[in-house]
Amino acid sequence: MTDAAMEISGVNRNDRFTRGSRLVDLLSKAGLVLAILAVILYGSFASPAFFTAGNMLNVLTSMSIVGIVVVGMTFVLVVGGLADLSVPATIACGAILSLGLQPLIGPVPAFVLAVALAGLIGLLNGVLVGYVGINPIIATLGVGTIGLGIVQAAVGGVIVYGSNTASAEFAKGRLLGIPVVVLIFLAVALIGHFALSRSFWGRWTLATGGNYSAAEASAVPVKAVKAGAFVITALASGISGGLLGLTLQSARPLIGSGYEFSAITAVVVGGVSIIGGFGSVPRAIAGLVFVQLLTNVMVLQGVRTPIQGFVLGTLIVGAVGMDAALRKRGVA
Amino acid sequence: MMRLLVLASQYRVLIILGLTLVVSALVVPGYLAPSTLGLGLDRAATIGLIAIGLTLLLIAGQIDLSGGAVFALAGIVSVILQREIGILPAALVGILVGAVAGAINGALVVGLKVNSLVLTLATMLIFRSLAHWVTNSQPVTGTDIMLSLALAKIYLEIFTIRSALFIVLIVLLHVWLTRTIPGRNVFAVGSNPAAAKESGIASDRIVFLGFVFAGTLAGLAGVLQSLVTNTGSPVFGSELTVAVIAAVVVGGTRLEGGRGSALGTLGGVLTIGSLTIAMEFQSIPAYVQQVVSGLILILLVVLDRAVTTKGRAPGTRPALVRDKPITQGGNV
Repeated sequence: MTDAAMEISGVNRNDRFTRGSRLVDLLSKAGLVLAILAVILYGSFASPAFFTAGNMLNVLTSMSIVGIVVVGMTFVLVVGGLADLSVPATIACGAILSLGLQPLIGPVPAFVLAVALAGLIGLLNGVLVGYVGINPIIATLGVGTIGLGIVQAAVGGVIVYGSNTASAEFAKGRLLGIPVVVLIFLAVALIGHFALSRSFWGRWTLATGGNYSAAEASAVPVKAVKAGAFVITALASGISGGLLGLTLQSARPLIGSGYEFSAITAVVVGGVSIIGGFGSVPRAIAGLVFVQLLTNVMVLQGVRTPIQGFVLGTLIVGAVGMDAALRKRGVA
Repeated sequence: MMRLLVLASQYRVLIILGLTLVVSALVVPGYLAPSTLGLGLDRAATIGLIAIGLTLLLIAGQIDLSGGAVFALAGIVSVILQREIGILPAALVGILVGAVAGAINGALVVGLKVNSLVLTLATMLIFRSLAHWVTNSQPVTGTDIMLSLALAKIYLEIFTIRSALFIVLIVLLHVWLTRTIPGRNVFAVGSNPAAAKESGIASDRIVFLGFVFAGTLAGLAGVLQSLVTNTGSPVFGSELTVAVIAAVVVGGTRLEGGRGSALGTLGGVLTIGSLTIAMEFQSIPAYVQQVVSGLILILLVVLDRAVTTKGRAPGTRPALVRDKPITQGGNV
């Protein structure tokens, strides 16, 4: 193929791409904002307790813990890693270790060490998925099971309590009227956003998820990038778990169960492609805001937990289906 | 050396099963008594029935992670309806619930053209929520305890009804997969659906029916479990996913589709079953058992990677990793 022909076909293809993704953009961005507004509107009418400063602060706080995981999970989905199912184990690891190590080495080193050890789970996931080439779901399911088992064995399957009141007060406290947890979440989200959208690592992540072989041919270290996404998620989960432990001042091995679903739901509802190659942290957080507000409205309306799970599952199916449908549109 | 390795990988199920039995017999006194083995076989039957469905699905290039949730839901339905319509009809309705759940999975995967891993992850959440919903998160009990005793009775010193059913079904699946044309077609669909479609095989229908089959068997396993324990509980089967996948993978079925065998799965199920019983007899805590089954899963998948041939022809990438669209542009 000559250069000219390549350029022409390139232009045509680009044209199709932009047309396709503009539609995707419009639908998923505007759609999500409208959905969030609709939930807020409905919530305000349905329950007087909904649109109050206290409730909104509650939503924000509970959103922050899972939100940190969401930032990491965005990397996994964008890089084409499907999902990280070892999140509950990683969170438990972070929570139990950050509390359990407090009496031995002090609260701050305990937290740092807990996050680092949680990162180890991610490293294992990353090596298995990125370098050995195992299906991510199987790898993370297996590693998660092993990790949780080890954590349970380490604490004998019981609850660990916090011993340092200062660290607890810090985690539950506020800076300038904003809860510390929320500030940490915002910091993580900002770092994640810039890393994904502005840095070379982010470009590599998008390229690897978009077209693995093409990225490999363009000298992107695809294996490391893929492995890195799982390490990022594990570190985020470790931070999230540590904060969870400090806020609750107790940690049990099953403390993180369900967080993987909440995170995946948020990312997928936010319109991040399940196939990889497309997505951003703000999108994922918009998805998180929507899901959290919806859950909050359901809780205020007295909807039982199983029904909430049902609604979330249906949301994932809908979002995944929409992703597939829009992708098809983008091609046509 | 290489030939030896290939030979070992061909008969690895037998080797692993043999090693497991030898080590267990050395460690656990009285392990090889028929009653112990019968107990192990009965235990394995639960994993095995779900594994039968998963073997077929994996060969067809799909996966179903919702099996454990369907297992719980079907069991609950069969117990709840006992009072209304009698035990046998209730059991049939329970199995039907499994089939319907499988049909939902299949219709969504085929209709929306989405990745079955992510989709069944979502439907798992939905089915589990439904199970919690209908039971109010409480275990439910059946009407006839005598039936449980009859079902748990050991015939010919080793078989229960459940384990005999499992062995008959898996042998039938083996015959069907290897001796019939539709059986061969499943392999074709799993290794290259596009090529299979070109040669006139109804890929979509095979995938759909594969999900129905897997759902039905998960339902059957759940109903039998509920009848044996005279109880239905929404938390039943939550720890089954890893064990079932491990059993199928031990049996040499590839997670990427197109390769696998029913007899291999039989070997895998027996291995996992004998291991479980050995660990239970040594009263090893549940979380250590989790670590072991997770380790086996990871180890075998890694070994599978290392031993089997590396290069595949372009265009024959397995279904679980193939879903990458050709159209992901770099313009994000």
